[in-house]
Amino acid sequence: MDSVITAESLAKRFRIYHQRSETLKEVLVDRRRSRYEEFWAVNDISFEVPEGQTFGIVGANGSGKSTLLKCIAGILVPDRGRVSVKGRMASLLEVGAGFHPDYSGRENIYLNGAILGLPRRYINSVIDEIVGFAELEQFIDNPVRNYSSGMYTRLGFSIAIHMDPDVLLIDEVLAVGDESFQRRCMDHIEGMRREGRTLVFVSHAAETVRKLCDRCLWIDHGVQRAAGRTGDVVDAYIGEVNRHETELLRAISADLGGSGPGWMGVRIAGVEMSGSEGEFNSIRTGEELSIRITYQAPEPLRGARFRASFYPAGRDILLSTRTDDAELGGMSLPPEGTVTLTVPQVPFLDGVYGLKVEIEDITSGRQYVEVDRPQAFRVQGGRRFEVGLALIGHRWQVPAADPSAVEVSATG
Amino acid sequence: MASTQALRGPGSASRPRAPQSGPIARRLELLSELVRRDVRARYHGSVLGIGWTLINPLVFMMVYAVVFGDIIGIKGPSGKSYAVFILSGLLAWTFFSQALVMAASSIIANSGVVRKVAFPWMLLTVSSVIAALVNFLISLVLLVPFMILAKAPVGLPLLAIPPLVVVTFGLCLGLGLMLAAGSVYFRDLQYLINLATMIWFYLTPVIWPFTRYEGFFRHGTIGLLAHIVVYANPMTWIVLSFQDVFVFNRWPQHWHGLIYCTVLAVALIWLGIRVFRRLRRRFAEEI
Repeated sequence: MDSVITAESLAKRFRIYHQRSETLKEVLVDRRRSRYEEFWAVNDISFEVPEGQTFGIVGANGSGKSTLLKCIAGILVPDRGRVSVKGRMASLLEVGAGFHPDYSGRENIYLNGAILGLPRRYINSVIDEIVGFAELEQFIDNPVRNYSSGMYTRLGFSIAIHMDPDVLLIDEVLAVGDESFQRRCMDHIEGMRREGRTLVFVSHAAETVRKLCDRCLWIDHGVQRAAGRTGDVVDAYIGEVNRHETELLRAISADLGGSGPGWMGVRIAGVEMSGSEGEFNSIRTGEELSIRITYQAPEPLRGARFRASFYPAGRDILLSTRTDDAELGGMSLPPEGTVTLTVPQVPFLDGVYGLKVEIEDITSGRQYVEVDRPQAFRVQGGRRFEVGLALIGHRWQVPAADPSAVEVSATG
Repeated sequence: MASTQALRGPGSASRPRAPQSGPIARRLELLSELVRRDVRARYHGSVLGIGWTLINPLVFMMVYAVVFGDIIGIKGPSGKSYAVFILSGLLAWTFFSQALVMAASSIIANSGVVRKVAFPWMLLTVSSVIAALVNFLISLVLLVPFMILAKAPVGLPLLAIPPLVVVTFGLCLGLGLMLAAGSVYFRDLQYLINLATMIWFYLTPVIWPFTRYEGFFRHGTIGLLAHIVVYANPMTWIVLSFQDVFVFNRWPQHWHGLIYCTVLAVALIWLGIRVFRRLRRRFAEEI
């Protein structure tokens, strides 16, 4: 079984410019050299794709998938290692395959064909098919700059598959375009697989890769994490994605963490939230919410008050409440302890809310310490259809078919 | 893979494979497609279209003839029309400067394609120089009726034009390749080349007759500097040769200069290809 694509310890380095000397003045007068950092977008990747296989490359956004694909396509020259491709290759990188905006779709088809190495007479014989597949019969003689992004993608895809490539590289393009076109693309790709063409398919959509690919490579931050049978690789990739998501959720979870020592060495050791169902990171409107604030101080606190503020992510405070509002006055407290705030029925509607907890001196108003978490918890509206920030008790009155009025009241 | 082979049958039988051009044919086909595009791009949507190829130099010729001939008082070669004199050099010069300017932006202007498709990108530059050449050839054809009107002699020395065009093309191509690749890294080069060709124009004997000022180059430091600049400038010899043919109806006189131009053109193409190949490695990321 011959390898159509061979990559051996492929590595590509990019420059990130901090300051770029591009103009004459900068180079000659300022004598400024461009300052840049280098980073390896793709590092030490090796794989082989046998003829007739569909090869998937999965990874999160920014993991180096597209860079790898561009190295295979020969657009980028690797800094280390080598890659070789046998046979005619066509690629669909991002949207469109590099059209000239001022030229009509038809002219771009000829130009693209020539770029991909097809004789004009061959293009003459398939141009109707290309236009038909792209559903652009009416617009093919208009300049492509007037095309929508969907039309652009359809034309690019249609050209690439009609170029009759031995190797087709596809970079996430199937995500664009309407559903019926996507389905036809998939059918066509399936047909090409049956014909024994070699496909390389880049995606962060694991399920698409699972459906299409025989073998698969997973890269993460430019480094090869796994390679082999699609099922195994995709499972490992999905596992990682799920772990990552769980971690993200944990960031808005029950334990909001504490702070370092503030004024007078007072610190908040921890802020924990709990709902009626124990620990949570999301709560439903109308449920009970408790916030336990654990503090530590070098000596007993005199005349202190606690303040808790709720706010929707990135907006003004919705509710700010202090212990002295509850006529607790300036409290004299032991050096260590826990203060609990309970909201019996959370009024907030669907959304992510922030929580800020402060300890202040009641006479000067000065803050000892604070903990501020812009994404503290999530509220799910549940079955309620009210929209807004908070559920405000209300009542509707409507005339009934019956002359006597019927009251429909909100249960909030 | 047996299963693949088995499945392959119906699909591949129903559709014949597309023919693949050989490496040379492929490049020629792409080149002709690109040239077609570049030539058309120049006059895309203009009313006079290809007429501009001659209108431009004619207008410049008239302006130069009035400003330098009538107002400043530069005289053409004795007994010859100053207008024909200017025009013959101006056409060659226009080709040269246009080719350089078009070549300098040839890669940047096609960034969309360069970023997405790997093919011999050098052809983009070659095509831009050829497009300038096509314009030049059209203007040469249009020059003939003008010469007849101006009662300029036309004869056998016209046969010197094709090799002259080839040498000029070589100079443009060599310099153009370096400019095209350099502009990707250093954008100012595109604008710089406009300025440079403007100054270069006055250093080339297009509007001033070389023979009248030849003596000046032998006196003093400035004369020596001017001597070096003017003699080292390949366009001096190209323009003089065009004037020989079109103004004097004689074979080019400065054959030593033309040998210099030919050697220089070959050297510049060699260097241009080397520079381009070296710089193209990071095109797709820098562009």
